[in-house]
Amino acid sequence: MSSPVSVIDPPDVAGKRMAAVLAEDRIGHYAEFRAFFERTFDLPRIGMSRPGYVAAPSGTIYQFVFIGRSGEPFPAGVEINALVDDLEPLDDALVDTDLWAILRWMISGVGAPWSVQDLDATGRLYRLAAAADPKG
Amino acid sequence: MLAPEFPPHIREQWPFAAHFARVNGWRMHYVDEGSGDPVVLLHGNPAWGFLYREFVSPLVRAGYRVIIPDMIGFGLSEKPVREHAHSLDGHSSNLIALLRQLDLDRVAVVCHDWGGPTGLTYALSHQERVRALVIMSTWAWQSPPAEFHTRIFPWRLMHAPLVGPYLLGKHSALAGRGMYLSVVDRERFRQRAQAAYEVALPDPATRLLTWTWPRWIPLDQQARAWRRFQWLEQELSRCKLPALIVWGREDDVFDPATFATRFKQLLPHAEGPHLVTGRHFLQEDSGPEIAARIIEFLSKLGNGRAA
Repeated sequence: MSSPVSVIDPPDVAGKRMAAVLAEDRIGHYAEFRAFFERTFDLPRIGMSRPGYVAAPSGTIYQFVFIGRSGEPFPAGVEINALVDDLEPLDDALVDTDLWAILRWMISGVGAPWSVQDLDATGRLYRLAAAADPKG
Repeated sequence: MLAPEFPPHIREQWPFAAHFARVNGWRMHYVDEGSGDPVVLLHGNPAWGFLYREFVSPLVRAGYRVIIPDMIGFGLSEKPVREHAHSLDGHSSNLIALLRQLDLDRVAVVCHDWGGPTGLTYALSHQERVRALVIMSTWAWQSPPAEFHTRIFPWRLMHAPLVGPYLLGKHSALAGRGMYLSVVDRERFRQRAQAAYEVALPDPATRLLTWTWPRWIPLDQQARAWRRFQWLEQELSRCKLPALIVWGREDDVFDPATFATRFKQLLPHAEGPHLVTGRHFLQEDSGPEIAARIIEFLSKLGNGRAA
């Protein structure tokens, strides 16, 4: 559970399904967040040709599908899907912990003035179980 | 009447008949009780009409028609699931659509939080229909923003990209603990009211507006609503409508020293600011007291639009 989030090559998806777990319509609300995804997944070069993938602390792989919107810089939004066995239900608690780790990874990559410490403090203020013992 | 998913102690506090109107294609819920000059009570994020439950009976008994719309995206109104369905002017237009359908005249507009920018947009663009303004814990100008809204912890992080859908969507942070933290008597709120706000937003997709509204608060000139707030401030400074300013003494979102004072500067003829026990959701701590203050204020206006 303590390994960091890491960007990985496209995995073999045979026998898997993409389970939607989080979506964002406005990734560029703060431009530095869009910039983080651009450089992390080399989006100016690959555009919409393929999704990005990360491995989360639990070992689950998450797919990032970037969304374009006419008249706005790309990407405008993003959908995060868990890559799970095709008929297997999601483990909600595990996904929640993974998503928190992904958010911490994102905030760390976005950089100042955003900080993982502030994110953790926000999570604790709202009593998130995943923020009680931050890892990843 | 509320649906069975609301617990009995919430249903007991909300005995009002549900009315629905179609506004800009969306289904809007509103309460319409009593008869007389209308008093329109407007909530903000992440509340709904329930916030004004203790205002209805006193105002009806005092001879007013009480109208409480649930903003599209909140309460018992339809909840769009795409962020781009929401805009400040769109929500103001939703309110204008409802009030035009009801053909209201001599309206007292009571506004709080985002009910401020939307309600004041209605009032200032329909002054011939408006009798008075009541202003509580809100703002109507571009700058300066509330210091609270400029802070990364916790405000800007709460609704940051992906964090907003996770924290406010999946974990209902604003309708749950967020409101709890923004009242004075938290135990009373937890026992009597918190479920009303949480049950009204049962699933992550229904909570979309809780992280979309914060993204409409102008922090710089690139903000989408910059020009609307510029217009609001200009029109408010010219406005001669009778006004009452009521603020929570403990309000740490829109602190009274800055925000109530600024409204008083823009509306020097306004009554108040009257400080009551309350943080941002002052209606939860001082509902009957504020209702009595509104009735007293309106009773002094007589039959004209100006005192």
